[in-house]
Amino acid sequence: MNTDEINEELAVMQLSDSFFPTGLYSTSNGLEFLFSKNEIKGIEDIKKMIRVNIEQQIGPSDCVALENALENAEKKNFEEIIQADEMAFIMKPIKEIRKASTNSGIQLIKCVSEFVKNNDILNEYEKAIKEKKVHGIFPVAFAICCHALQIRKEKSLTMLLYGFTVSVIGAALRLGLIQHLEGQRILHEVKPIIIQTLKQNSNKSLSDMWQFAPQFDIIQMSHEKMDSKMFIT
Amino acid sequence: MTHIPRIGIGGPVGSGKSMLIERLVPVLAEIGYSISIISNDVISKEDADRIRNNLSTKKGLLPENMVIGLATGGCPHTAVREDPSMNLAIIEEMEDNHPELDLIIIESGGDNITTTFSPILADYFIYIIDVAGGDKYPRKGGLGITNCDLLVINKIDLAELVGANLEIMRTDAEKLRKEKPFEFINCKTDQGIKKIAEHIIHDLLLDSQPKSIHLEKNKI
Repeated sequence: MNTDEINEELAVMQLSDSFFPTGLYSTSNGLEFLFSKNEIKGIEDIKKMIRVNIEQQIGPSDCVALENALENAEKKNFEEIIQADEMAFIMKPIKEIRKASTNSGIQLIKCVSEFVKNNDILNEYEKAIKEKKVHGIFPVAFAICCHALQIRKEKSLTMLLYGFTVSVIGAALRLGLIQHLEGQRILHEVKPIIIQTLKQNSNKSLSDMWQFAPQFDIIQMSHEKMDSKMFIT
Repeated sequence: MTHIPRIGIGGPVGSGKSMLIERLVPVLAEIGYSISIISNDVISKEDADRIRNNLSTKKGLLPENMVIGLATGGCPHTAVREDPSMNLAIIEEMEDNHPELDLIIIESGGDNITTTFSPILADYFIYIIDVAGGDKYPRKGGLGITNCDLLVINKIDLAELVGANLEIMRTDAEKLRKEKPFEFINCKTDQGIKKIAEHIIHDLLLDSQPKSIHLEKNKI
């Protein structure tokens, strides 16, 4: 590996490490509600939930937004980045999810801006957040940070899906649904779903974005109303 | 963006964090300080609901939307120390939309003696314990007890009942905290609460007047 490649690998490790402060540990993506209703019982149910979320929501919407934002960051086409931010925002119909996503996205940008000082697109996006010209939604903020850290598209997309998977498994562990070794097994078994989703959603334009998981939308809405909860989503 | 002074209040489950807030806010509000509260709940929004009900709905000391509950994914001290991003997101919104605030109080979810607040999140850190945990508590140390700006020992009325010796607690706290302050209180009777308010006004707010009074004077 040359120096650039090592740098990229280190940046991948830094951004995808649970040590990186994005607040994702506080989200369960609806798992908590399913657990409270006794509708999710073990490994297979968790895998199914992750699969539906990845295939029906994150893949066709967040991944497409990320890819477009990253490509436009490289072309320095900021208007298209604003468009990706808007599209990713309106693809999240549940208030709680939208809010958690923008909160994480904005904090992610702040964090990376702390150690990357000379990237025009990162600086412009941060300024646009302050001026409320963009929402700072997570997948687009993530694209901007990957661009600033010179992480390639394929790795950025893989990290997004990996990060989501880890946050759900982490929530399952803390809810006591699974044990630590089972968590790693799920992570391993979800890899083909991640690979397939990446293949299916690459090279799409913003107008190709979609998401359709109404049952999960209802679950998320129900989570918003829960009286007792450990997780933001 | 205005930086609003922030206090972090941490301590074990049941030590009296929410009760301390409920007793402190009326004292500070009476002087005219405008306050918002973020309650990092571990498993429920009960603390935030109770504080809102007691301070906003019943007493009208602050608007209901100034008490915010935040779920921490079962990681109460991660949310205030290693990764305070979700708390910071709320605070930045507050600072943006409510520059009139004098103070933001951040209540940590109940946790152990190693809880500390990230200095990025809180400018002043109060750690509260209670005598029911035994008089060994200050002696045990831990980051919360040794590092906080103000150590508060609550429920002193129970000392005799649980066989806790307050003098031992005092000696150990002095030894461990050296010059740093600590106070004995009883939230149930408000004993010592004014002293806590004085520490906050002096050490954090630097004896500044409430913004509302300042603005009023400028109008005249």
